[in-house]
Amino acid sequence: MLRKTLIHDTFYLNLGPQHPSTHGVLRLLLRLEGERVVECQPVIGYSHRGHEHMAQNRSWLQFLPNTSRMDYLSALLYNHAYCLAVERACGITVPPRAEYIRVICAELNRIASHLLWFGAYLLDLGAFTPFLYAFDDREDILAILGEVTGSRLTYCYCRFGGVARDLNQAFLDGVRAFIPKLRRRLKDYHTLVSKNVIFLNRTKGIGVMSPEQARDYAVTGPNLRASGVNYDVRKAEPYSVYPELDFEVPLGEHGDCYDRYYVRLLEMEQSLRIVEQALERLPSGPIRAAGVEQEPAPPPGAYHFAYESARGQLGIYLVSDGGRIPVRMKWRVPSFSNLSVLPELLAGTLVADTIAILGSLDLVIPEIDR
Amino acid sequence: MRALWEYLWGVLSGAWSLAAGMGVTLRYMLQPVATVQYPRQRLPLPEAFRGPIRLRAFPDGHHCVACGECWRTCPSGVIKVQGLKAQAKDHNRARYFFIDFSRCSLCGLCVEVCPQQALAFSREYETVGPSRYLGVKDLIAALEQEEVVP
Ligand code: SF4
Ligand code: SF4
Repeated sequence: MLRKTLIHDTFYLNLGPQHPSTHGVLRLLLRLEGERVVECQPVIGYSHRGHEHMAQNRSWLQFLPNTSRMDYLSALLYNHAYCLAVERACGITVPPRAEYIRVICAELNRIASHLLWFGAYLLDLGAFTPFLYAFDDREDILAILGEVTGSRLTYCYCRFGGVARDLNQAFLDGVRAFIPKLRRRLKDYHTLVSKNVIFLNRTKGIGVMSPEQARDYAVTGPNLRASGVNYDVRKAEPYSVYPELDFEVPLGEHGDCYDRYYVRLLEMEQSLRIVEQALERLPSGPIRAAGVEQEPAPPPGAYHFAYESARGQLGIYLVSDGGRIPVRMKWRVPSFSNLSVLPELLAGTLVADTIAILGSLDLVIPEIDR
Repeated sequence: MRALWEYLWGVLSGAWSLAAGMGVTLRYMLQPVATVQYPRQRLPLPEAFRGPIRLRAFPDGHHCVACGECWRTCPSGVIKVQGLKAQAKDHNRARYFFIDFSRCSLCGLCVEVCPQQALAFSREYETVGPSRYLGVKDLIAALEQEEVVP
């Protein structure tokens, strides 16, 4: 075997499942020809916890804490998505204040998720300083969200028909101070990273994903938009209060690592705009819909709901027989499709670029494994 | 000639981008430290902080009537509660109230569902321990050691 390897100059490299750059437990089986990757085979399932099966063993309400454990970096978005899906199925109308609160928190969570990605991605590429700034900013968001949700990472804040707790003054002051601070920081990020010659050389023209490729593999989210396809569920199938808010969908041109990076930075700005507008318009009123049962159950039938998570389109498919316990719950998670395009992007690249491309897709492995 | 010029321009603009980045770093170096030195300095806990659940203490003890609603609602089967009547005509009152915090997801469903508002989150956060059995807490016993904080 060894001799054969030497003669053919082909060998296999296991990247992960405990490699720091795979962010979670993803294993990439790479077939190398010298420094070049010939083939890549992702191996998943190391953190499979059976969330979809768990859903069939508990009531609709009791599944609520599970949602935030799938994608722990954008836990509130998942929480929000699940509540919206069940509310739509049950025909519950949420009071406007509650919906605005949810959107504010969800967008803050989206920024926190992008910030973590930003820091970790640059760390993968060997830049240590931006990581510290990103975590400083993210810490602010976690403290702000902690004021109302009581947790730092795996929130369980949304409820069917509203939210668990009203906003307090500390939250409002925190957000108002945070928005200008992050705007200033984003400028620094552009000086520090977006124009940095080393970063440009490592990401420009690397891992180019064409719009056709992206569509073929059902890539969604910032990865798709970096290839220039204008698709955002918040615009395409509006839900919640997004139609009332004014924001843009940033697009890339080339679909390379740099564009994927840049689109996420622009998205943070847009999220800030959404938070700002939502805070301005925040209506007063109740935060829980009146007359909602403690454990609502959707009428018999199958339902699908699409949501824009920080990583792309999240689809929730629910089947109910009208009982307390779901018959089937299927989660279409964005990272799974985003991972499936990876072998195509990696073919023929250098090993060092593997990390740059893998990181730029922003995969969260527990979400894929569920 | 042109290639040389482009090369030089690349070197210069690259060097400038690095210098600009260093400028940002220098600016932050002169600003106050953001890190909190944890065991010696502590941040205030937010108002909504969720620690392991506790029974709220009232002057007459706790208000739990052992209806078991929290037990049935908890997604992870954390709570075990058993009530006792002092006399036949009395209200039921919880005599044993155990939680296994190692399985609690701090979702807050039990706190919300309680008809007596007998439960609340504690403000404990250093809950790490060497054994999973340390997560088992006797809330009634904990209540007796506590002063009254509803
Ligand atoms: S804590 Fe509340 S819900 Fe739980 S058993 Fe006691 S009274 Fe019932
Ligand atoms: S917070 Fe949630 S998981 Fe913990 S005991 Fe209450 S219902 Fe159970």
